Amino acid sequence: MAHEELELFVHGQGAKPRVIKASTGDILRDVLIRFEVIKEGPDEFLVFIGECEEALAEPDETDDGIDKHAPVDVTLTVEVLELKRHRHIHIHKCRHVAVEVNFNGKTKRRRFSPAATVGVVAHWARKKFHLDAAAAAEYVLQLCNSADRPRPATHLGELTEPPKCAVCFDLVKELTPQG
Amino acid sequence: METPDQRLFEEDILSAEFRAGVLKGYWGLAAAEVLPAALAWPTRILWLAAAARPNAPEHFYIQLNVAGYRTVAPTGTFWDPDTKSVLDLTKRPKGKPESRCAKVFRTDWQGGAAFYHPYDRVATSDHPQWKTDQANKIWTSAHTIVDYLDEFHSLLNGGEYIGV
Repeated sequence: MAHEELELFVHGQGAKPRVIKASTGDILRDVLIRFEVIKEGPDEFLVFIGECEEALAEPDETDDGIDKHAPVDVTLTVEVLELKRHRHIHIHKCRHVAVEVNFNGKTKRRRFSPAATVGVVAHWARKKFHLDAAAAAEYVLQLCNSADRPRPATHLGELTEPPKCAVCFDLVKELTPQG
Repeated sequence: METPDQRLFEEDILSAEFRAGVLKGYWGLAAAEVLPAALAWPTRILWLAAAARPNAPEHFYIQLNVAGYRTVAPTGTFWDPDTKSVLDLTKRPKGKPESRCAKVFRTDWQGGAAFYHPYDRVATSDHPQWKTDQANKIWTSAHTIVDYLDEFHSLLNGGEYIGV
């Protein structure tokens, strides 16, 4: 069967994502070495496939939840790993990222996959703090002690590096332009 | 020949952030068949997906002037691929009264020729106070076209967007 060339997105710790190209028949490890994402030798990084959205299905009563999203075997092919569907590859040393979200004097905590997006965390936090669905999108995540509001597509792993496997956010309301 | 601002814009169109949004169906460059015949830099036309609303399109097109990109903020407004001109005010997306969505897409300011948002060059020059009031939304050279698209895509897919 003919192999297909795919456009894939590689995310990693403390860095912006990049585009790479791979054939469906390629071994993922070979692809990552070819694009100098990882080096030859023992694997020091965990490799996650796709963007983890487990938190969106978490029951409201769950406290301190944790993503089950597991690292993959990089000796498998792009096709077997279903990268045509998933598209995103996340390379990180942290197995989980411990997230705290502060709002109105309260804090919610959860351990997310490094491949969960800021958008997923925001969605989870709005549900946890029981914000009105219609107005919820006006509430966004801002990094604690900062004015930075990462874009929803940003992977949590892009915001942290070992030994710190944690990110703190405040849930804040977007201002409406006035004047 | 490409100018430095055009080169930077073209690079950002190839970035992972822009391409991932295209593959998710969030935004993209307008297809060649809907572009006007004489479209020249610094004008670029893109589309944004919008949440399903009765009698509203699945996509809105925007025409941006990106001269001086990224040092200078873009400016622009909605565009009509059928008439190949600025989108009639009656066909513009609307938000719930007093909402942020309604404010940003207002048509009673500058005749709807620019977005009422700190990312927009015209709006910010008209509202110098936004540099302090809305400091984290003021365009800087660290912003890219993805920030711009992401902002307006969020508004068109939020609970306050009500259609046209």
